[in-house]
Amino acid sequence: MTDTPDRDRLIWMFTQMLRIREFEEAVKRTFIDHPGVIRGHTHLADGAEASIVGSLAAIRPGDQVLSTYRCHGYPITLGTDTKAMMAEIYGRRDGLCKGLGGSMHLVDVDRGFLGTSGIVAAGIPHAAGVAYAAQIRGEGQVVLSFFGDGASKQGAFHETLNIASLWKLPVVFVMENNGYNVHTRSEQEDANAAAGEPLAVKAKAYSMPGVTVDGGDPVLVHQTVGAAVDRARAGEGPTLVESGVYRLSAHGNIIAPPGVPLHFPEHEAIEKFGAPEEYEAALRGDPVPRFRGRLVTDGVMTAEEADRIAGDVRREVAAAVEFGLASPFPELESAREHVYA
Amino acid sequence: MAHELPYIAAIDEAIKLEMERDPTVLYFGQNMATTENEDFVTSFGHDRVRVTPISETAEIGIATGAAMAGYRPVVELYMAEFMLVAMDQVINEAPRFRYMSGGQVKVPLVLKAGYGFTAGWAGQHTGTLGALFMGVPGLKVAVPSTAADAKGLMATAIRDDNPVVYLHHYLLTLEHGEVPDGEHLVPFGEAAVRRTGGDVTIVGTGWTVGKALAAAERLAEEGIEAEVIDPRTLAPLDLDTILESVEKTGHLVLVDQAPRHSSVAAVIAGDVAEHGFGSLKAPIRLVTALDTTVPYSEPLEAYVLPDEAKVVDAVRKTLQTVSA
Amino acid sequence: MRPDTARRLLETMWRIRRFEERVAKLKRQNEVHGLVHLSIGQEAVAAAVCCRLRDDDAVYSGHRAHGHAIAKGAPLERVLAELMGRADGLCQGLGGSMHLVDVEHGLLGATGVVGGNVPIAVGSALAARLRGTDQVTVVFFGDGAAQAGHFTEAVNLARLWALPVVLVCENNGFAEFTPRSAHTTIERVSDAVAPFGFERDTVDGNDVEAVWDTFGRFLEQARAGRGPLLLECLTHRLRGHYEGDAEAYRAAITADEWQQKDPILRFQRRALLAGWIDEADAAAIEREAVAAVAAAERFASASPFPSPELAARMTYT
Repeated sequence: MTDTPDRDRLIWMFTQMLRIREFEEAVKRTFIDHPGVIRGHTHLADGAEASIVGSLAAIRPGDQVLSTYRCHGYPITLGTDTKAMMAEIYGRRDGLCKGLGGSMHLVDVDRGFLGTSGIVAAGIPHAAGVAYAAQIRGEGQVVLSFFGDGASKQGAFHETLNIASLWKLPVVFVMENNGYNVHTRSEQEDANAAAGEPLAVKAKAYSMPGVTVDGGDPVLVHQTVGAAVDRARAGEGPTLVESGVYRLSAHGNIIAPPGVPLHFPEHEAIEKFGAPEEYEAALRGDPVPRFRGRLVTDGVMTAEEADRIAGDVRREVAAAVEFGLASPFPELESAREHVYA
Repeated sequence: MAHELPYIAAIDEAIKLEMERDPTVLYFGQNMATTENEDFVTSFGHDRVRVTPISETAEIGIATGAAMAGYRPVVELYMAEFMLVAMDQVINEAPRFRYMSGGQVKVPLVLKAGYGFTAGWAGQHTGTLGALFMGVPGLKVAVPSTAADAKGLMATAIRDDNPVVYLHHYLLTLEHGEVPDGEHLVPFGEAAVRRTGGDVTIVGTGWTVGKALAAAERLAEEGIEAEVIDPRTLAPLDLDTILESVEKTGHLVLVDQAPRHSSVAAVIAGDVAEHGFGSLKAPIRLVTALDTTVPYSEPLEAYVLPDEAKVVDAVRKTLQTVSA
Repeated sequence: MRPDTARRLLETMWRIRRFEERVAKLKRQNEVHGLVHLSIGQEAVAAAVCCRLRDDDAVYSGHRAHGHAIAKGAPLERVLAELMGRADGLCQGLGGSMHLVDVEHGLLGATGVVGGNVPIAVGSALAARLRGTDQVTVVFFGDGAAQAGHFTEAVNLARLWALPVVLVCENNGFAEFTPRSAHTTIERVSDAVAPFGFERDTVDGNDVEAVWDTFGRFLEQARAGRGPLLLECLTHRLRGHYEGDAEAYRAAITADEWQQKDPILRFQRRALLAGWIDEADAAAIEREAVAAVAAAERFASASPFPSPELAARMTYT
C-alpha cells in the first residue's frame, strides 16, 4: 500500500490530475464563454489535484469518500462520468443528481462518493457515521473524510475526532490546508496557525496521530494517506492528515444577485491581501506541471505520451461541456421528486 | 392482545422489537449503554448500542452518515432543546441529502427527544419545538400522546426511510395505556379522533390532547359536545380529518403548549382558514403558551401554559360568536 | 495563607455545604420545584476561586451553580428564594436553580446547556479587553463539557485573542451518569486543550489551599492581560447528578473515604494544625453557617410567589 506506485499507477495519477485541472478550467471558462449557464456558487480544486489524487490512490473499491462543497476532484478521480458532472453543474436533466444538487452537492454512490455538505465541517460527522457503519459491517472498508483548514475550528470537527478516536472508527481525516478560509487567512482565525504551528498538532487532543504532508506531491500524499488507511483498516483508528495545498482560484465565483454576471475574481492573496508574490510562488509550484516534469525526467513517460494524455483529457472535457450545454433542463414537476424516500 | 405499559416503556419496547427484527437498526446517545447489564446492551451488544459524549452535532451527523451507508440509527437526544446546538444537522443536512442527490441516497434515521417538561425544569429544558421541524421538507415529525401510539409511531419511524424527529412528551412519561403485543405500527399521516362530538372541533398534540379531553368532559356538562382530534404526526399532517370534522362542527379550537408563532396550532389554523373557510361559523381560536420563556416558579409556569380552563373558555368564546 | 483567609474559605464552604443539604431536604418536601444539581463535595473549588475575585469580575456557571453563586457573594436568602420560586428570588422566581444571576456580585449567568456558558464567558472577557479594564472572567464547567464542539470553538478564539478568561473545570469524573472513559480517550481535561498551548494545570480540587494558590497565580496572569488559562480541579460530587438520581452507575464512597476526601473536613484539620483557627472558631463557623441557612429559609418561605403578570412582562426590554 505505501510502496512507491508502479509506472502504470504513476501515469494514472498524472492522468487524473490532468482531468481535474482541465475540468475545473472548463468550469471556470464557462462563466466567460457561456454566461448564465452556471448559477450560484462554484468552488474549484485547481491546485489541489496532487492531494486529491494521491489520497484517492490509497483506497480500494468498497472504500467510501465524503468531502466538502469543493467537490469536483473526487468523483472525477473515482471514475464518475464527467458528462453527467458537467450537466449537473449546468443544472440539467442529465446531471449526476438530475439538476437538483448543483456544483456543491455531487453524489455518486456507486463509486463510493457518498456526498458533500455545503456547510463547513458538517460532513465530518457524516464520514464518521459511514465509518461506524463500516465498522459494524466488518468488511474492512475505510472512509476518507476531506475538509479544509477552516473546518477545524468548527465544533463538529472537535466532537467527531473525539468520538472517532474513542470508537476507533476506520476513517482518515484529510485536512486540505490551503491557508485560507474563504478570504480569511488561517493565522487570522486559528490559534495554532497564529503561533506558526502546523494544524496537525490538533490531533494531540484526540489521541490520534497528526501528520503534515506536502499536498503538492502526489506520491508523498499517497504514502502518507496510505499509511493512515492501513492503520484504519487494521482497526487501529483514525489519523489526522494535514495536506498542504494552494488553491489557484479564488474561493469561489463572486456572489451576486441574478442579473449580475458571475465570474471568478483574482485569488484573495492578490485581490485582498496585496501579496501577489505569494500567488506567483504558488503558480511556480503548480503541482500538475511539476508532476508532469518529474515523470518525464524520471523516464516514467515521454513528453509525447504526456501530450497525448493531455489531448485525450481535453477532448473528454470538451465533450462534457458540449453534453452539458445540450442537456435539457429538467421537467418542472421533477422538482417535487425525491423529497422523501 | 394487549398489555399495560407506561408511555416511556412503550417506546423502548418498539425500539427493542425493531432492533430484533432488523440488524441494521442502531441505538446510541448520551448516558446509555454504559454498563453490561443494561437491557439494550445485553440484547444487542456494543456495536449497535453505544454511549456518546455530549456532542449532539457529531451524534446526529454520525447518524446521518451511518444512515447513508445502509444502517438505521435511532439517536437518543433526551430533550428537544439539545437538538438546537445541532440544528444544521437536523434541518440543513439529513433531510436535504436525498433531494440534492437526485434520489441517490436515503437517510433513514430517528431523532428521539423529549419535550414540554413543565415540572420546574425551567427556561432551557421545557420548550415545545415541534413546529420548528414541521415545515422542513424531507423531515417527518411524530408526536405520540398515548402509550400505544408511542410504540406504534416509533416502530413506523424506524421503518421509515426518511429522517424522523420523534418527540415524546415528558409529562406523559408514566402515563399507562393499553399497548398491543408484538408488532404494532401506527401509520404516519393519520390523525386519531379521540372523542366524537358535533359542536366544536378541538385539536391538540402530545400532552394537550389530555387537556382537550378534560375540557370536553366539562363542556359536556353544559351540553356542548366537542370532537377531539390528535394528529399524531405533524409531518405528514392529516389535514383531511381535521377539515372533515370542522365541516361537521363549524368551530375550531387549537391547543398547543408552544408560544403562538412557533406553534403547530398556528400552522394548522392557516391551513384550515385556507381550505375549510366555508365550513367555519366562527373565527378559529388558538390556545397556546404565552409569548415568554417558560418561567421557573411553579405558579408562573402554570400561568403561561394552556390548561383545561383556558380551552373551555376558548370553546365558549368561539361558540358565542355569531357568524355574519 | 493568612488566618483571615482561612476563616473566610471555611465560612464559605460551610455555608455552601449547609445550604445544599437544606436544599436537598426542601426538594424532598416539594418546597423546591424541578431539577436541582447539588455541589456537595465540590465546595473547595467554588470557595477558593470566587473568594479571590472582585464583584466586577464575571463568573459564569452551569447547571451546578449554587456553590458558585454563594461564593461569589449572592445572598443566601435570595438564592434560596429563587430555588423556592419566590418573588424575592435572585431572578424573581423566573430562572430557578440552573439559571442563577446576580449582576451586582458579578454572577453573570448559569446555563442548563452543558458547555453553553463557555462561549458566553469568552465574550465577557472580550468586553473587559475592549473596555481596557483588568476585570477577569471565570467560567466553571464540568469534565463533560470539554467534549462539546462549542467548547473548542470558544477556546480557539480565547487563545487567538489572548482573552482574560480563566476556565475552571470541576472534573468529578462523571458527565451526568457516565464516567469520563465513555466520553473521550483523554483522561485529563488539561490535556484536552494541550494543542492550544496556553497555561493550564490540574490540581486536587478537594484541597482548598491547592486551588487557592494555583488560582491565585492564574488570576494574576489574567489580570495582566495574559489569558486564557485553564485550571482543572479533580473533585468528587457526593450526591447524584441531580436530586432524585438513584446513582446505579457508581459505587458509593465509604464513610471513611469521604472523611479523608471531604474538602471541608480536610481544610479544617489543616487550619487547626497550622493554628489559623482553633476548635472554638471551627465550631462557631459551622454554627454560623447553619444559622445563616435557617435565616435564609425563613426569608424565602415568607416571600410571596411572584405575580402572574410578571411572567408575561419579562420577555423583552
